[in-house]
Amino acid sequence: MLSRKPRLSAVLLALVMGLLVVGCGGGDEGGDTGGGAAAADQTLKWGLGSEFVLDPGLATDTTSAKLVLNIFDPLVKLGDNLEAVPSMAESWDVNGPNVVYHLRSGATWSNGDPVTAEDYEYAWKRALDPELASDYSYQLYGIKGAVEYNECESNCNALRDKVAVNATDDQTLEVTLTSAQPWFIQQSAHSVFLPVHKATVEQFGERWTRPENIVTNGPFNVEAAQPSASITLVKNPDWRDAANVKLERVEGRIIVDGTTAVQSFEAGEVDVLDEQLPPAETPRLKETPEYELYPGLGTSYYGFNVKDNIKDINQRRAMSLAIDRQSIIDNITQANEKPANAFTPEGMPGREDIVAGEGSPWTPASGDLEQAKELMAQAKNPKTKITIYSNESSPNKEVAEALQSMWKQIGIDSTIKILEWQQFLEFLGPPPPKAVDIFRLGWVGDFVDDINFLELWTCDSGNNNTGYCDKEYDSLVAKAKQTADNTERYAIYKQLEEKLTGQDGFLPFIPLWYITYPNLERETVKETFEINLLDQVDLTKVEIKEA
Amino acid sequence: MTAFIIRRLLWTIPVLLLVIFLTFVLMRQIEGNPFRRTDRAVPAAVQRNLERKFNLDEPWYVQYALYVKGVFTFDLGPSLVLRDRTVNEIIKEHFPKSLELGVLAFVWAILIGIPMGVIAALRQNSAYDYGLMFITNVGYAIPNFLVATLLIYYVSLKLGLLPTNGWQTWEHKILPSFALALAPMAYFARLVRGSMLETLQQDYIRTAKAKGLRWRRVVTVHALRNSLIPAVTAMAPLLGFIITGTFVIEVIFSIPGIGRYFITAVTSRDYSVVMGITVLTSVVIVLANMVVDILYGILDPRTRDART
Amino acid sequence: MTVPADPRDAVATGTAAPDVVAGAGAHAGAPMAQSNLWRDAWRRYLQNRAAVIAGAVFVAFVAFCVIWPIVSPYDIESDPVNFSEAYESPSLQHPLGTDKLGKDLLTKLALGGRISIAIGIGATLAILLIGVVYGSIAGFAGGRLDNIQMRLLDALYGLPYLPFAIIVLAIIGTNSLWTMVIALSIASWFTAARIVRGQIITLKENDYVRAAKAIGARWYRVLTRHLLPNTLGVLIIAIFLELPGVILGEAFLSFIGLGISPPEASLGSMAQEGREVYRVHPNVIAIPSIAIAMLVLCANFIADGLRDALDPRTRETKDYGAPQG
Repeated sequence: MLSRKPRLSAVLLALVMGLLVVGCGGGDEGGDTGGGAAAADQTLKWGLGSEFVLDPGLATDTTSAKLVLNIFDPLVKLGDNLEAVPSMAESWDVNGPNVVYHLRSGATWSNGDPVTAEDYEYAWKRALDPELASDYSYQLYGIKGAVEYNECESNCNALRDKVAVNATDDQTLEVTLTSAQPWFIQQSAHSVFLPVHKATVEQFGERWTRPENIVTNGPFNVEAAQPSASITLVKNPDWRDAANVKLERVEGRIIVDGTTAVQSFEAGEVDVLDEQLPPAETPRLKETPEYELYPGLGTSYYGFNVKDNIKDINQRRAMSLAIDRQSIIDNITQANEKPANAFTPEGMPGREDIVAGEGSPWTPASGDLEQAKELMAQAKNPKTKITIYSNESSPNKEVAEALQSMWKQIGIDSTIKILEWQQFLEFLGPPPPKAVDIFRLGWVGDFVDDINFLELWTCDSGNNNTGYCDKEYDSLVAKAKQTADNTERYAIYKQLEEKLTGQDGFLPFIPLWYITYPNLERETVKETFEINLLDQVDLTKVEIKEA
Repeated sequence: MTAFIIRRLLWTIPVLLLVIFLTFVLMRQIEGNPFRRTDRAVPAAVQRNLERKFNLDEPWYVQYALYVKGVFTFDLGPSLVLRDRTVNEIIKEHFPKSLELGVLAFVWAILIGIPMGVIAALRQNSAYDYGLMFITNVGYAIPNFLVATLLIYYVSLKLGLLPTNGWQTWEHKILPSFALALAPMAYFARLVRGSMLETLQQDYIRTAKAKGLRWRRVVTVHALRNSLIPAVTAMAPLLGFIITGTFVIEVIFSIPGIGRYFITAVTSRDYSVVMGITVLTSVVIVLANMVVDILYGILDPRTRDART
Repeated sequence: MTVPADPRDAVATGTAAPDVVAGAGAHAGAPMAQSNLWRDAWRRYLQNRAAVIAGAVFVAFVAFCVIWPIVSPYDIESDPVNFSEAYESPSLQHPLGTDKLGKDLLTKLALGGRISIAIGIGATLAILLIGVVYGSIAGFAGGRLDNIQMRLLDALYGLPYLPFAIIVLAIIGTNSLWTMVIALSIASWFTAARIVRGQIITLKENDYVRAAKAIGARWYRVLTRHLLPNTLGVLIIAIFLELPGVILGEAFLSFIGLGISPPEASLGSMAQEGREVYRVHPNVIAIPSIAIAMLVLCANFIADGLRDALDPRTRETKDYGAPQG
């Protein structure tokens, strides 16, 4: 009598065969969006890179920013040249520190209530509310009374009223700044300046962003949202410019892992990603037609600990000269970054005036080993055993290794210490601990004026981890903040940049490159889907073309 | 029996307290600022406000007391990082998904692992034995993030059979649960094989054969039932592993589960989420252990009072 | 585990006892041939083909990892980064190809293997050490102390393992070999403790132990000369059973980014780096993954072989199991 054991394995075998047959029989789906009915079906499938938070006051990551900027209506948007373009505000007047926005009339919230200037006043003051503790509240510090309110510990309501933002009538918003800040209008294109619906927030508290509660006034409405999983947006037919919005629907799916995101894209499940490409896949993806590269307003750099450790300027210059930036960009980061020749990134308004000619003589794109060796020889008491600090994410690790190798050629032995991200940040201070000789960091711009970058290097800046402190530098920064005229101000910026990276510059850090945002976009969408320098996406401009 | 159950239940409370305390102490040791998202430092005033809001400026024993109170009133606090959500909501939203993933994986492991172990035992040292053991072990031995990636590549991308990621329909659930099941599958296979082998040595099996009972009946009625007992014991820690080990699978397959949240929370220093999830998983593990102990007590009365 | 005829032999002998199976062809007049536990076990082990192959492969790989970097023409740590040689396919010069920075993969494999095996063995030994200490105290002392220890163990069982390893690593900060060992062992020793305790309890009741106690042997002597050696077999098996878990655990931690820091590399960190380029350069991830899989499989087969060998009750069931009808 036959035992049942062989039959069991036969069953298993049959199952496996069956699966294989089905698999081979089915077609290979490849990268189509399913049928080419693209122009008729204006649904964008978006592979988002992280969790999202739909509260403009609390949105800190770029994915959330992209979403809220499309479901709420900002006063201004940024145009192709990063100039301020009217959005909900149809015009504005700037008079020194006084700014007046004139809002359109007739716009409504998704529940029918009219959109008024009070909504903006409420939202801005809410963002400054110490109770809310918004991460981006500092973006509003240019407003008179803002800092005091944000730092308040008790009896805050009185200070709240002193914040100089006032809706003098339904269509007029008056703002008084601490000084003339010509960049303020552009700055108000940031997500933290978006309006919120007061009654909804007060009624539902933290739960006001749930899809069943949320009230929005932007080109898209939130139809559904599953935390950590997906979000569905639908076109708002009542939006003031709905006629020009082509997209009907946006289906966002959260895919955090880069490799999976690329696989999902290639399987045709999503049409556009959110920059989660693993750097290592870039060389392969660069060759595909769906690859798209956007410059970003940010600089990646390596900072020295100039207080205790790398004190000799010749050594700093030598270390900068020894780096073959282009090679690292070509072989490690591989996202076509531009080698940096100053701290101010490309795309910054006024850069032609701020960065003279070729930029810093200490940052040749392919390095200058000869001169580096000469300078090292001239250095008195150079520190030849150093520790490099970086965090673990790719490609930072490999970049550190490449630098280690490059510095070895000028006689410097470096040990690499990789810290986990949060610890890394805590560790750096400021002030940096004695153990740190050089560390990797970067700065991404919040708004499009160079003061955002240059004020980093003041003596008490919370983001200055180098220990660099120059009173003259500080006073120039203060002066720049008071200078309304662009040309004059750019001239001051030029001086500041010189002090940092110029011929006689102190070089407290080594600028490496300007960041880019690589993305994958299906050809049907590629033309119209754009990411700007501040990593924002305007969905009202997106149209899905015929396949 | 009831005394046994009650005793076990009562023990969960000090266990929980210990777990909370340990997690609390450990989390406080980690340096890091939960409010810092990017390279940019948090302005001092904002930092103070945030710390005040979340009671982080209180002395540690006050925070601990507040937290314990929270646990016993089922209020696990707000998330420090995802500021429009509370830990309760996060758990309610995401734990069921991990649970589902884990249970499905469990089912795969049992359905495939146990028969494999039985077959291998019955054909000890034959090609079947080596072959089956090798196959199941390979699934376990290759790091699971590679297996998962390859599964997606071949099954989803190349063959187009199943979606690459997500957790919406039943098709989405096959690959991830299978990938997660590989390790427990191998574990069950080898466990069942081992205990089956032992059982088959026993005298009563020989007696049954000598009595002329059909082999099939001997195997299923006698041998199988008794050799499954160790497998049952193994289920509790396994269930615990599955729930905490879902992280890799959740990240790769974009499943909105609790495992993924946990690691992200540790990395971004979201203390309340970390504590909340740890407390939750401990409760699950402790309960699972308890259930297994009880089951074991029922199945094998000898062990009811013994402690080994 | 079987109790040898003369407990003193279990400790002292090893190779001293005559190499004769008990009762089989003893020479006339010679003292009764003792069965030598270890020789018997070794013979039985050799009968298990899989275990033998696994053992050989394991030893060979360890030898490779130890020796190769010494003789290799490449020095991963001090050779300069060479982009022009990045990601080469296997060739005579680089039998396994090169990685992203142009370093030879064969040498990197050996170095990574060293670290992974070191972490594996280190963590396993740590687990066993803690387990043995904890378990023997509990098992031997019995009574109240045992009870408290077991309750504590129950509590610790409730801790989710990997989260704690992660938290521990996050606390320590930079990741070196030792921190990985600590993190991986800190929450995995419970089962070992339980096993040891169980063994000790069983053996405690054995006659020879009671005899030893009756003649007044001190507790530590009883422990070290009688109880522990008899648990040795179980412990050896336990080593090879824990090893896979630790090696895979290390791979997992590398995946999250808590792996070992460069320029050192472990098999896990190599696999994690290779994952992103698996489409165009599959060898970068295939090689460490195969190495990990091989170590794990070998350890499993060795453990099986050891268990079959050291526990003669698990004899072949060919006569019992063959489904003939």
